[in-house]
Amino acid sequence: MYKDKLDRILLKVQKPSRYIGGEPNSVEKPLENVKMRFAFCFPDTYDIGMSHLGMKILYSLMNEVPEYLCERVFMPLPDMEEQMRKNDILLYGLESLEPINTADIIGFTLQYELSFSNILAMLDLAGLPVFAKDRHSLTPIVCAGGPCCCNAEPIADFVDLCILGEGEEVNLELMRLLEQCKTEGADKHEFLVRASRIEGIYVPALYDVQYNDDCTIKSITPLEGAPAKVRKRIIADFDNTYYPETFVVPFSEIVHDRAVVEVLRGCIRGCRFCQAGYFYRPFREKTVDTIKRETVSVCETTGYDEVSLTSLSTSDHSEIEKMLACLADYSDAARVNLSLPSMRIDRFSEELLNRIKSVRKSGLTFAPEAGTQRLRDVINKNITEENIMNGCRIAFEGGYTAVKLYFMLGLPTETTEDIEGIAELCQRIIDMYYSLPSRPKGKGIKISVSLSTFIPKPFTPFQFEPQPTEDVIKERQKHLMEVINTKKVQVSRSHFDVTYLEAALARGDRRLSQVIYTAWKKGCKLDGWTEYYKYDKWMEAFKECGIDPAFYANRRREYDEILPWDHMDLLITKEFFVRENRRAHEAQTTPNCREKCAGCGVNVCTGKACF
Amino acid sequence: MDNNVKNIRVFFSKTGRAIYISHLDLYRLFQRSIKRAKLPVWETEGFNPHLYLTFALPLALGTAGLCESMDTRLTEDVSADELVRRFNEALPRDIRVTEVAEPVRKPTEIAFSEYEADFECDDAAFDAFLDAEHIPAEKKTKRGIAELDLKQHLTVLERRPGYLRFSLPSGTELNINAGLLFDAFEKISGTEIYSLHVTRTAVKCGDGEIFR
Repeated sequence: MYKDKLDRILLKVQKPSRYIGGEPNSVEKPLENVKMRFAFCFPDTYDIGMSHLGMKILYSLMNEVPEYLCERVFMPLPDMEEQMRKNDILLYGLESLEPINTADIIGFTLQYELSFSNILAMLDLAGLPVFAKDRHSLTPIVCAGGPCCCNAEPIADFVDLCILGEGEEVNLELMRLLEQCKTEGADKHEFLVRASRIEGIYVPALYDVQYNDDCTIKSITPLEGAPAKVRKRIIADFDNTYYPETFVVPFSEIVHDRAVVEVLRGCIRGCRFCQAGYFYRPFREKTVDTIKRETVSVCETTGYDEVSLTSLSTSDHSEIEKMLACLADYSDAARVNLSLPSMRIDRFSEELLNRIKSVRKSGLTFAPEAGTQRLRDVINKNITEENIMNGCRIAFEGGYTAVKLYFMLGLPTETTEDIEGIAELCQRIIDMYYSLPSRPKGKGIKISVSLSTFIPKPFTPFQFEPQPTEDVIKERQKHLMEVINTKKVQVSRSHFDVTYLEAALARGDRRLSQVIYTAWKKGCKLDGWTEYYKYDKWMEAFKECGIDPAFYANRRREYDEILPWDHMDLLITKEFFVRENRRAHEAQTTPNCREKCAGCGVNVCTGKACF
Repeated sequence: MDNNVKNIRVFFSKTGRAIYISHLDLYRLFQRSIKRAKLPVWETEGFNPHLYLTFALPLALGTAGLCESMDTRLTEDVSADELVRRFNEALPRDIRVTEVAEPVRKPTEIAFSEYEADFECDDAAFDAFLDAEHIPAEKKTKRGIAELDLKQHLTVLERRPGYLRFSLPSGTELNINAGLLFDAFEKISGTEIYSLHVTRTAVKCGDGEIFR
């Protein structure tokens, strides 16, 4: 145990309480009673990882098994890493303060591509070889889960296996299999072959990938009886699925420092750029009773004074009004604030506004994503200008004077007119504000435009699309800045350097493992942090490996091209994505799933209609 | 303020892993623990109501404390024993409430703290350091770094190899972090201190009485 060693270094680092564990509600299990140890790694810092709901769910779930221990592990910041290396402290779990190289499974959750290099950094800090082929013993098995596993090819050389889909059931199946293999004295290869028979488990080493001369993929062949397609796991009975009674409450302030209740999973909308919207299908929601019970439980056991009703689109819950009324009874009495992230502007009403207004008045955020109706139709946002104006009007009449609007730049078919459309839309919102007799007196309006760059992602109708090149993106950003001629609108935009790497990694194939390794060797890690991101080093790494990032980021794929993730089955057919892509180019919208089934295929796989 | 509220002083220890909890985080920790324990703590009235909690004397990050205190107000009568029990059920293991009582002295009466330190270093050098005529140290203040002579403020209560019991001024007038003494030693002697554990063992008023 590293307690004494840590005592020697912790006063030399920033915010030491995040490196020592022991927070309220954290799990304590004497190691002598533990049969299997799972090191749950979030490949980013404590402040970010501790805000992540999936980790809270899977941590509590595994710790319900008395003889299993699930520990939390995060990426230390450079000051801590330096102290650890100087004092021979390997990466350790916060529960036991023991190094994770003695755990049975080391599992990474992959929420964004820019955390890939942190996997290598963390394995290395744990004293383990980063390449799967160099780790010979049965344990620790290194695995990955989370949305990025829908295309895990770029990290295929580093992990032993991936978990595709929801982990609530399959994580325990995997632990039991490993426990059995340990007892039987099976070796790593035998374990991996057996694991590949479990639905949702992908073992990259059991697939042979061949390439054409033009570097596109020629074939993906399963070996040793591995399935031709790895099928995503889903929880059938979402209302009764496991939800933690409580969360670990950090000592220090983290990014999302509040209680969280997941009200629904999946999304009915079908925005054509959004990977999460497809990854988490089918749409499932919890009943109001369940939501209420979970809300009371997490609030009372954590002591948080704010609870976030989270999902991809909370206002799409079929009983949103009833839910809020029911929760308001509790939250008013217990002095707990309700917060509603992910609110759609077309579902925004005075009633909703009043519910969240009893809470502290922070700004309201909406996501029109595109400046013109034509482009909003292309991306299937299904929001009209009238919806936007109406939503903003309700907000202004409710006393708000600031709104934040999300837009995306570089979307397929985008023209100068669409860019100018953003500025014009902002101007019409400003004009509407000043035309309101009931607007807050004596106050000006402020519109914050957050301009991100389109990143085509696997398992979306835009998976075939190119990301516009650097010149085009920078030119369009510049143009937007020129056409916005009021100080009432403030624009923040994403850096091209970061989005370009993300675009290359998102649709990468196995050849990128070498690039990631090379970049990491050059010091790349914590790529999601502006202050640590090293674009030049990444570009050098691509060059040294003889790989052009543009091949992945800026190339249009034919519909019949074998994509690096074609052996993953997200329960949605490729034909559906092709169909949706065609409709996008015709600026045809597709109704949301509740209105009309679009035939993505998920209901065929689950054997029942979604609604 | 409501007439029915009752002032209480909560005494607690902060040891082990809890020494890394900063003063700001300690406030939040108690706030949430009180919510978990459903204790009837008075909330401030105002635009942004929050639990009324005030800590008499912040403890430096990395220093353990056996006699820390926090003042708060209750809106209902709860026995001292029950308060101790409910606080401890809700608090993390390394923070233990030892006593809840009515406040006797005012926090402004606090004048000094006693500490115990064990450590590994060149003991002869440490003795020489303590015996010197002056012990120059640097204290970080809001206005920058201030020079001060620790010799004028330090009282050595007990000394043996690897161990020191001492007192330093605390409170509103002059507050000296115990860590300064050991930083000063490392700087002056050019040698390092290992395995340093500092614990605040008593908080006292100007008249030498324990702060109650």
